[in-house]
Amino acid sequence: MNPQIKQRIESVINNIEQLPSIPEVATRIINMVNDPEVSFKAIADEISKDQMITTNILKLCNSAYFSKGKEISSVDRAIVTLGLKEVKDAVILAATKIVLNKIIMGYDLAKGELWRHGLYVAVLAKKIALMKGKKDIADVAFTGGLIHDVGKTILALFVQGTFKEIMRTVEEKKIPFIAAEKDIMGFDHQEIGERILSKWKFPEVLKASVRHHHQPMSAPDEFRTVVSIVHVANSLCLMAGVGIGSDGLYHELVPEAIELTKLEPGELEMLFAGIPEMGEQAETLI
Amino acid sequence: MSTLINIGVAQVGTASSPAVLRTILGSCIGVCVYERMKKMGGMAHVLLPSTVQGGKPEKYADTAIPMLVERLLADGCKKEFMSAKIAGGASMFTFNSSVALAQIGERNAEMARAVLAKYGIPIVIDDTGGNAGRVIDFFLEDGRLKVKSAGEEKIYYKL
Ligand SMILES: [Fe+2]
Ligand SMILES: [Fe+2]
Repeated sequence: MNPQIKQRIESVINNIEQLPSIPEVATRIINMVNDPEVSFKAIADEISKDQMITTNILKLCNSAYFSKGKEISSVDRAIVTLGLKEVKDAVILAATKIVLNKIIMGYDLAKGELWRHGLYVAVLAKKIALMKGKKDIADVAFTGGLIHDVGKTILALFVQGTFKEIMRTVEEKKIPFIAAEKDIMGFDHQEIGERILSKWKFPEVLKASVRHHHQPMSAPDEFRTVVSIVHVANSLCLMAGVGIGSDGLYHELVPEAIELTKLEPGELEMLFAGIPEMGEQAETLI
Repeated sequence: MSTLINIGVAQVGTASSPAVLRTILGSCIGVCVYERMKKMGGMAHVLLPSTVQGGKPEKYADTAIPMLVERLLADGCKKEFMSAKIAGGASMFTFNSSVALAQIGERNAEMARAVLAKYGIPIVIDDTGGNAGRVIDFFLEDGRLKVKSAGEEKIYYKL
């Protein structure tokens, strides 16, 4: 353990100013969508207050991924055509892009790679949820997948100077990268990610998806299925090399999580083989 | 400046000196074939050993490698001057090696070796396995291969 690094990380995460921000509209929309009493109109009005978000979500709603064919030119139309959950997902995409679409030095990710990784994991996680008849959690699987590695945006600064030590720990102790991060720096990118989501006042299910994506079985019971889906989608994308960084595949593949998703080996292989086509869809969100 | 050509997942590309072919690998295999007389070569980035759901033949080692070799032959390359370098085929970290998903990398490497053997193309470098991702650059001016993995760089010159 490197106590100075740990202290520096603590001072960053305890100073809310130093954690990334997103437009407030995203937090408000996530919480409004969870309220069964809320009207479409109230949500459309809320989104329309933010011009930049509005422009960007209209672009997203017309992308090959979300589009249902007809041109969508207003937030009202978007909600009617695509549904509330899809529009909420588009708002989160538009809001988090600035945070995720950066160079991530310590993990050796060029500009855009972490963003692309999040998009692929999001699209794949949603695909798995729908494939397994879990339509009710498809939207959280998507957003959980999108932001699961957000902690890397902060931790990367510290991984840069400690990477060799982390790798040595991985090799000597035969432990996954995430455990070695914690060993050397006192924190791992899951914990840092959870702190960021707390700042954004995101719901517990998304916090769990970020906090436990490498160890889904330690997620609270009620979120374990979503987190497992994100875990599997993340593993498949890393195996395909999408957004794979210096931490490579030194991340645990948890058999119990695969069991929980009820994905058979043949289905997993099909999903893996389908990544190039799925990627074409995901790329339309970039 | 030599041109850098990015080879994506499930793509096959060929070019000649001084182009550089690059790809990023996890469990996939980058199959690099070089023809030393014509200074031409190509790369296939394969996802799986053989067909599971149809789709592009470029995805699978048993169909992509023949595509790559045939394309080079059609461009006038000779098999006797060809050699291959393969890289990638890593697996996720697992405490239980029987997880099927964790074996894809190794199966990919095995199939790549078998298909190249069938063509009689020698594999001069086999940098596969482990848990690290790899970024590989294949330089067609001399057939060297640069492999960057887990923060370290190796260069293989063997032809
Ligand atoms: Fe992660
Ligand atoms: Fe990830």
